[in-house]
Amino acid sequence: MMYYKSVLTTCPYCGCGCNFYLQVLDGELVGVLPCKSHVTNQGKLCIKGWNAHEYVFSKDRLTKPLINQGGRFVEISWEEALNIVVKKFKDYIDNYGPEIFGVLSSAKCTNEENFLLMKFTRAVLGTNNVDHCARLCHASTVVGLSQTFGSGAMTNSIGELEKANCILVIGSNTTEQHPLVARYILRAVEKGAKLIVADPRAIHLVKFADYHIQQRPGTDVALLNGFMNVILNLGLEDREFISERTEDFEELKKVIENYPPAYVEKITGVSKDDLIDSAKTFAIANLASIVYSMGITQHTTGVDNVTSCANLAMLTGNVGKRSTGVNPLRGQVNVQGACDMGALPNVYSGYQNVTDEKIRIKFEKAWNVELPSKPGLTVVEMINEAKKGSIKIMYVMGENPMLSNPDINHVKEGLNNLEFLVVQDIFLTDTAKLANVVLPAASYAEKDGTFTATDRLVQRIEKAITPIGESKPDWQIICELARRMRSNQFEYTSPAEIMDEIASVTPIYGGITYKRLEKDGLRWPCISKEHPGTLYLHKEKFTRGKGRFFGIDYKEPAELPDEEYPFILTTGRIMFHFHTGTMSRRTRLLNREVQTGYVEINPHDAEKLEIHDGEPVSVKSRRGEIKVKALKTNRVPEKVIFIPFHFAECAANVLTNPALDPVAKIPEYKVCAARVEKLSDTI
Amino acid sequence: MSEMKETSANSKKSKDDFEPKIIAFTCNWCSYAGADLAGVSRFQYPPNIRIIRLMCTGRLEPEIVVKALSHGADGVLILGCHIGDCHYLTGNHRTKKRIAILKRILSYRGIDPRRVKLDWVSAAEGYRFAKIVTEFTNEIRRSGPNPLKELA
Amino acid sequence: MIGKIRELAKRWIAEGKTDAIFGLKEENGHVAPNLFIKKSELERLVISPNYSLCYTLRPKNSNIFSLLERKYPNLKIGVVVRGCNERALFELAKRDQVDLERIEILGIACTKEEALECRCPKPYPQNLLVGERVEGVTNDDNVEALLKKTLPERLAFWNHEFSKCIKCYGCRNVCPMCFCQDCRMEKEQWVKTGVLPPEDPIFHFIRFYHISERCIECGECEKACPVDIPLLTISKLLRRDIKELFDYEAGLDVKQESPLLTTLDETLIKRGE
Repeated sequence: MMYYKSVLTTCPYCGCGCNFYLQVLDGELVGVLPCKSHVTNQGKLCIKGWNAHEYVFSKDRLTKPLINQGGRFVEISWEEALNIVVKKFKDYIDNYGPEIFGVLSSAKCTNEENFLLMKFTRAVLGTNNVDHCARLCHASTVVGLSQTFGSGAMTNSIGELEKANCILVIGSNTTEQHPLVARYILRAVEKGAKLIVADPRAIHLVKFADYHIQQRPGTDVALLNGFMNVILNLGLEDREFISERTEDFEELKKVIENYPPAYVEKITGVSKDDLIDSAKTFAIANLASIVYSMGITQHTTGVDNVTSCANLAMLTGNVGKRSTGVNPLRGQVNVQGACDMGALPNVYSGYQNVTDEKIRIKFEKAWNVELPSKPGLTVVEMINEAKKGSIKIMYVMGENPMLSNPDINHVKEGLNNLEFLVVQDIFLTDTAKLANVVLPAASYAEKDGTFTATDRLVQRIEKAITPIGESKPDWQIICELARRMRSNQFEYTSPAEIMDEIASVTPIYGGITYKRLEKDGLRWPCISKEHPGTLYLHKEKFTRGKGRFFGIDYKEPAELPDEEYPFILTTGRIMFHFHTGTMSRRTRLLNREVQTGYVEINPHDAEKLEIHDGEPVSVKSRRGEIKVKALKTNRVPEKVIFIPFHFAECAANVLTNPALDPVAKIPEYKVCAARVEKLSDTI
Repeated sequence: MSEMKETSANSKKSKDDFEPKIIAFTCNWCSYAGADLAGVSRFQYPPNIRIIRLMCTGRLEPEIVVKALSHGADGVLILGCHIGDCHYLTGNHRTKKRIAILKRILSYRGIDPRRVKLDWVSAAEGYRFAKIVTEFTNEIRRSGPNPLKELA
Repeated sequence: MIGKIRELAKRWIAEGKTDAIFGLKEENGHVAPNLFIKKSELERLVISPNYSLCYTLRPKNSNIFSLLERKYPNLKIGVVVRGCNERALFELAKRDQVDLERIEILGIACTKEEALECRCPKPYPQNLLVGERVEGVTNDDNVEALLKKTLPERLAFWNHEFSKCIKCYGCRNVCPMCFCQDCRMEKEQWVKTGVLPPEDPIFHFIRFYHISERCIECGECEKACPVDIPLLTISKLLRRDIKELFDYEAGLDVKQESPLLTTLDETLIKRGE
């Protein structure tokens, strides 16, 4: 039967949460048309969004369940696959108890699916060992902003950036990572706003900045303390805000006094004058906004970095007003949602603590089952425990730790040491290749659900085509497994029903229903069916009441350069590819733009090592070695090299340091020591 | 290409000793032969020119002209057969229309369209070839270095 | 006016004049292109905001009408079009990207406000069936501003604007006129790949030059640009130039061949070389 329609859905790539129409002709995806009436993207998309339909019909899509027989993958039926998995799960629970399980949920799956997987892990498997890749990107945000503001989410919304008078972008390559957020930053600049970009690299956004603060990687606490020192010394702090809305200011003041500009210059490499000028510019602005991303979070001092950003915002009274705030940019399409849904080892949905007895009883009542009270393991810890043998089974949904975790060789050992690995995904990723059973999942275009964008906007995705082959939406797979494990708590006929349950147990999602989401999406907190959603947070009071200052001292990164490894290796992303490349590297135009990885090296360093542009070189760290081609560019300062992590054949994460932030357990992707050498056997 | 990078400070100083780089696209049947004749006849023309031979100017896509201007050429000269004499009959018809549009785009973009010149030189017009090249080189010398070089 | 359009569309289906109607559908406050097959669905037919109806679907690199025509050889579609959409259809028909024999044009006029918003010079189609013609916008502030600038000022202006470009290819993707299987903007040979901002001026020049004589001034390119580059300014100026040079206007006469495809004997350069 002939039909052509446009199906409104949310882009599956980044946390901007753009909407577009999938163009469907007779059940086939033929194109993408950006949605003109959407609040964030307004009819525009980045290159990834424009091509977000192509990987859905890639020939590599998993279409049938697979079982690993001696290294070969053999297709089996769903019945067989589910039975094998369930039997293994049951046997191991009986013999070893539930704590041998590790479950990785997915920041690419819908809220409903994340909720169900964490419910499955807790109510059916009986453990809190559920986590997902937010651990690797914004775990420090959740901890840092929770302890200062009471809520770990982006305080304002993306569109508000346009009206800010001053924007401090620190640790975010916004034009490449969140293009539709960069749009609003550039619009603000056109209107006369001041832009301060703090990044060790000369990123694209620097062209439009009034100040490029080029701090050494890992010195952000010192830099931010330096800002605050200047502001306090010039008397530019917002005294009214501090006295009425915050506490522990004296703690902050005591520490800040130790960070005068001259000292900060020694640590960060940022000149005194630049520091003073930019700090003044930020402080005197009427509405100043802080935007940050991985450059702040992915450190052993990630929580300290985030807390310092919060300190700076509170010091200058820039929280709880339009066009201000502390704005962490979430990378994955639904990493905000996955956190909101409690796919985390220490909280249920809505950041309700598993150790809080009242909360646990509420969930026990709702799910009619006893729930474990001990917080579970985080992503990197699970891999460590797998290597040791105390985690024996892992169930991985939509995650690819074989490329996204630090120290990949260690990850491989850990995963190979498991006694059983189930991977549920849309492609046979590097992680899936190590699995015992692979379950084919449906993509975003083949199911209904919701994603939550970085600015808390909960939006629908809509099913445009039927799932390819025998793939099933993740929520259906989880329900099947649960039913076979004798749970009666997973009788859902649609994702809308799952959202109703989410709303009933999660206060911040309390007023969200599919009917209400039909028009424009809702921004949480949305606590009741009449509540219109919340544009910006902490309006009259912080979520925790008063904002709390913390006096944070600068600590060095875990591994600094030395004679043997003289370069600082920092890793990150590029515009044309996305994370582990499972989607973007199956897209023709994106591959045409960038086929494979490279290492950015400063021309002075390249000359000293006699390395030519485009020459394949060897980059080594204490964790391993990769061969990658060199790119001579002034984007990186001397003694710093940059490698994008998207490319499995030259995986940056072979080299990265699995040292973790002590509280957030996020790895230090942004700083480790490395060595660059010419290949001795270059052709 | 790196030797052609000039800062605006330097370009003012060296404006007097500025020697433009001219790229000339000629067609095999007429203008290239005309260039040959100029050489054989010892008609002098400035050495700033680099000649690229095409079979017909109709083969020249305007993108090449823009690339030449982006990569260090101060002026681009396109010399084909006289209208009506094209070896492929209507190749130079296309060229004429394309270059007309190209020059408009250049002017909107802020690049002086006079840096691109289209003219016709037959195989017998050695003197005309030398004259056109000399005049064009002098004109570009007067216009100064191509401002696009600073973009590179 | 929307009532009349719906009535007419329903009549066309009822009388068998067309098998389906192509237009914009409203659902939950959002509007997108749709193929209406049943009369009852036409209650949801709307006309704004305008979308580029014949934009090129990738990776097949054809517009939706072309795909439908190929798949359903006997299909006759009625299309609700404004002036710009009709100009696009005419230009596409000239180049065998659409078969006008199988399309029935339901032309609608834009309002004065809509014409002003798009800065449209001709806000009505030739096959106008519903609505009153309004005058187009002949003066354009951005164009006037650019013409007033000197060459170095223009250079600085566009250097700044194009440095914002994030290579989304949106300007090309929404353009009904960009349907090449092998797009030159993607080629490493012409534009260094994987670099932001894309190589300037060649990246944007390729597009301006290739659509110069076929630009229908719909303005979708500018509306699709995430960083607000005023692309329409140069396209408008080029359209004026094409008229001056060749007495040719894209999208007005489906039989008039593009001047770049003809020899000088067929289409002279009139003036203003």
